[in-house]
Amino acid sequence: MNGSSITPHILRFIGLVAVQSLLLNQMTLTVGAYFNVLLYPLFILFLPLQMPAAYLVLLGFLIGVTMDATVPSWGIHASAGAFAGIIRGLAFMPFAPKGGFSAKDPIFSPANMGWQTFINGAALFTVMHIFWYFSVSYFAPVFALEIVKKTLAAWVLTMVFVALYAAMFNPKK
Amino acid sequence: MGNLLQLLLRNGGFVTFLLVELVCFAMIVSFNGRQGEIWANTTGIFGGRALEKRQMATDYFSLYETADSLAHVVDSLQARLANARQMQVPVRDTFFLVNYDSLSKTDSVRRKTVRPQYGFITARVIKNSISGANNWLIINRGSSDGIQTDMAVVSQAGIVGIVRHVSTSFSLVMSVLHQQAKISVSLPWQKNAFGSLTWEGGDPTEMTLRYIPQHFVVKENEPVVTSGYSLMFPWGHPVGKVVGVPKPDPENPYFLEIKVSLQQDMATVRDVSVINNLYNSELDSLQLKIKSNER
Repeated sequence: MNGSSITPHILRFIGLVAVQSLLLNQMTLTVGAYFNVLLYPLFILFLPLQMPAAYLVLLGFLIGVTMDATVPSWGIHASAGAFAGIIRGLAFMPFAPKGGFSAKDPIFSPANMGWQTFINGAALFTVMHIFWYFSVSYFAPVFALEIVKKTLAAWVLTMVFVALYAAMFNPKK
Repeated sequence: MGNLLQLLLRNGGFVTFLLVELVCFAMIVSFNGRQGEIWANTTGIFGGRALEKRQMATDYFSLYETADSLAHVVDSLQARLANARQMQVPVRDTFFLVNYDSLSKTDSVRRKTVRPQYGFITARVIKNSISGANNWLIINRGSSDGIQTDMAVVSQAGIVGIVRHVSTSFSLVMSVLHQQAKISVSLPWQKNAFGSLTWEGGDPTEMTLRYIPQHFVVKENEPVVTSGYSLMFPWGHPVGKVVGVPKPDPENPYFLEIKVSLQQDMATVRDVSVINNLYNSELDSLQLKIKSNER
């Protein structure tokens, strides 16, 4: 990654942290406990497809810990961010062409993959991240039903915001 | 080190993930109240189970010692049982003697011939102290088990204390290591010369025996047993043995001051028996008459 290709990721990092902490988290407080939109994992989703998993984990941890600092909920978003980093490859696997992603597909975006593939891949990636986030947040198997209910509610809402984001910015790299 | 880090970052995605999750886990349980409480509770439950398993293993390995000690108890009880069952009772107005099983009958003959004076109630010490100037124990038996105040508490090895306060399920026992505890004891090798045993603080293994007259030649290591004069302790229960050479009592030179080493280590006392003197009220009323005559 050269200097110019890093810039969109840095801007995305700052923008997503700001929107998540200043807008979406405040909406949860105002609307209710079931209104959860977790948009910041889009930073990991839009990282280069060729990036090694260890870097994805560390960058996922970085954006997660930054989110934790704003809530504060030390470790919870960080854990979910790192999880998003490790499962990203798994979530995209069903949508990868034969022989895997090539350098022609810099990031997993509608511009590179088409809308249908993007929405399917993003949905799989998002639901895994949200489920991990609520599991760590509730921290006990006794809350399993609550975790599933909140995951489903948050998944639907988050996907709406993911589609809006992709439509608005249409990232290519 | 740098190469190792490079290798880890290039190929060790899952290892990196595990390490990062470990850090996150530590952060979650350290800095988040609710998750920290859940974690502490969970570790408490599993820790408790682990301790319980360890205790079970320890108990298992000490079974041989327990069985050995129980065998001694069974031996001594069988001997006492054998001696108690066969009694020769004279038939009224005759010189004929008949064999009588004293344990299988509860009629007046048994009452008159055997006359059991004491009942034993087993208990376990659940709280104990030995470091204070006046020490107390709590046992897991109370009024619902038949415990009353002023009953003696003994262990197999020696004397333990006297019941002072009783609740429904528990009793507070004044330890022999209490400066108000005075136990009437005797020296069986000295024709049961009797005196009073008290604790003067300090060493929890040693008590002081007073009021044994000077003319008794008491030797080191002589056994000391309960005298049976106190209404609480039956005669002959082991107490300890004489330590060192008895000296004249500085407060009362006609008597000896004897140091007695306790047979029951009060720091480890656990299984005890509470002794119920079945004639306590009868004997009490007689003692009241002594007092009224002295007025």
